[in-house]
Amino acid sequence: MILAAGAAAGELSVPLPHGWIGTTSQWMTGFGIGLVVLNLILLLFAWYRMRGADQGPSVWGWLLVAVGLVPLMVGFVTFSHGLESSATVSSCGSCHTMTPFVRDLTDVKSDTLAATHFKNRYIRENQCYSCHSDYGLGGTIRAKLAGLGHVWRYTTGRYTVPITIAAPYPNSRCLGCHGESQRFLNSPTKKDMLPELMSGKTRCLDCHAPAHPEQKKEARL
Amino acid sequence: MTTPSRLPWVLRIAIILVLVFNLMALIVLIRENPIAFTLFMFLGQPLFAVALILLFGALAAELRARRIL
Repeated sequence: MILAAGAAAGELSVPLPHGWIGTTSQWMTGFGIGLVVLNLILLLFAWYRMRGADQGPSVWGWLLVAVGLVPLMVGFVTFSHGLESSATVSSCGSCHTMTPFVRDLTDVKSDTLAATHFKNRYIRENQCYSCHSDYGLGGTIRAKLAGLGHVWRYTTGRYTVPITIAAPYPNSRCLGCHGESQRFLNSPTKKDMLPELMSGKTRCLDCHAPAHPEQKKEARL
Repeated sequence: MTTPSRLPWVLRIAIILVLVFNLMALIVLIRENPIAFTLFMFLGQPLFAVALILLFGALAAELRARRIL
């Protein structure tokens, strides 16, 4: 019966709004690819025009567009797209060390805190990033710098398994969403301990662990 | 000062650098991969910066040769 329900759910899909033309991100990706193709054509054209011994004003004009202006636009679009897409779950999961975490996250039968948030869509998108970065501009900058460190350690092999979190998980990341929720504030189990939770004296994870499944101390792949 | 015979080579290097920059950008746009993005940020963008320096250096040299600058 459960299997039948699962199969039926698999066939269903959430209807898209009337007049759906894709997301902003999809359009930006398409725009960026279009700019790259345009730039490649312009570069070929500029290369062809430079064959003459003398560079006239029109050649310099083409060069300024092909080597200066259009690449600047390509750089801006790619930077913003890369910054945005590096926060997705698939981006985090692209490193094999994250595979057990992402597998558990997307497992509907898992009861870990991360999987519960994912399967109930308590966080709609970028679930890894949302929970592992602090709020505000400083949080974003620190998360990106930490991500840079992760890429460095991953590519150079300077990491140890099992993977551990760099610092104790702060309550502020949970309270950023839950802290002003009426359900949370009026919860009989939490009402008395609110000051301790807000100050961080009692950690949310003391009661709500495990956030992720226990890792096996396995050899690197 | 850059001589007229050297000028195209400088500009051709600039074009090749921008070509590499574009290919790196294309990989970032097509694949969601943090390593590709890091490479674009720390290798692709400096390549583009070098290409810009070469272009404007060559342009300044050309303007000086024509006694415009």
